[in-house]
Amino acid sequence: MKITDAGVCPYPNGDSSVRRFALEAAVLGFDSLVAIDTSVNANYGEVGVRAGLFIRNAGMKDVITQVKRVKETGTVVSVKAGDAGFNRAVVSLRGVHILRGIHAADKNAFDHVTAKMAADSRVAIDIDLSVLIAGRGIARQRAIQRYRDVLVLENRFEFPLTFSTYARSVLELRAVREISGLGSLIGMNIPDVERALAGVATVTESLRPAVKVLP
Amino acid sequence: MTIRPPTLRDKRRYLLVRVDPPGTQIDQKELYYAVSDAVTSLWGDATAAAIVQAVICAEGDYVVFRCRRGTERELAIALSTITQFRDTKCALRIIAASGTIDSLRDRMKKPEPVADGAPAAECRFGGKDCQIAHCDGQKVDVIEKGFKNTHRLFLTREDLEKPHATTIPDGI
Repeated sequence: MKITDAGVCPYPNGDSSVRRFALEAAVLGFDSLVAIDTSVNANYGEVGVRAGLFIRNAGMKDVITQVKRVKETGTVVSVKAGDAGFNRAVVSLRGVHILRGIHAADKNAFDHVTAKMAADSRVAIDIDLSVLIAGRGIARQRAIQRYRDVLVLENRFEFPLTFSTYARSVLELRAVREISGLGSLIGMNIPDVERALAGVATVTESLRPAVKVLP
Repeated sequence: MTIRPPTLRDKRRYLLVRVDPPGTQIDQKELYYAVSDAVTSLWGDATAAAIVQAVICAEGDYVVFRCRRGTERELAIALSTITQFRDTKCALRIIAASGTIDSLRDRMKKPEPVADGAPAAECRFGGKDCQIAHCDGQKVDVIEKGFKNTHRLFLTREDLEKPHATTIPDGI
């Protein structure tokens, strides 16, 4: 199992370099990171860093164009959630790995139909830990509510989940044990957290056919 | 009031926490308020009352917190939601939990002695002059030179050596 933080923002978007992120992540118990808006695909010490593309505030046409552009480059593609129609279209688009920002989308933006489609096309739903860490009051309560709702659907349809800290600094990274504690706030037990930490590996590995035809 | 016998006292647990970035000035009272705020915000007044958190001591970059036995998990989760302290970005890294302060002291890393009067090492990063604030193995923290917008950047030796290898003094 590869323990991955599905979203960090290194320098120049943040104040820490990719290498420093990798060093700190190794100490905190991670095996890999997804560096958003970078084209880095490398190993620094024990930690693998994967390039991440985060498509925000774009229409479906833009999403398709950008996904095509990074096809077969090993980039982890994620899209910010929008309304229900947009989310369904994104989830069924080949090449999209993660749907982010569910907590900030409409209440009905992620329903049982989208959940089923996400499970079928192996698109992960991201859990934004920065809201749980830095949020206070009603913002954090709403996020917890939404994630609990997502977990109900996850238990039923078993789509992949991922955890992201959206750390712009190494100070915003959290250890695996702390993430497990934060996961318990939204009703996740240890196996759920383990599965979510391995979510990036699950959605990016190529599908093997269930049946192999021998010559 | 007489002191209670040991069997009637509350059982306590102690958490050893390291404050990042290194060199952060720790005021115990302000840290207590930051933790208290985080605990109350996350768990509410009733659980905060059950946790009975306290700052026992701060030595170097390490702080020892106390809580009631069985509430370490709640306190640890609340500590992980602290992102700043006295308007400075920081992180509280939980190192260990124990029943005695003595056993936690063994796990505190002694700070490396800093030579007095030594000139602060300088370097260039991203086209800007920076001053090295902290250096530990591969990790190098630098602060941009200037009067305003002087952010702390978290880098590695490799980051500094590769693009501007000639501008780095031997100090780092």
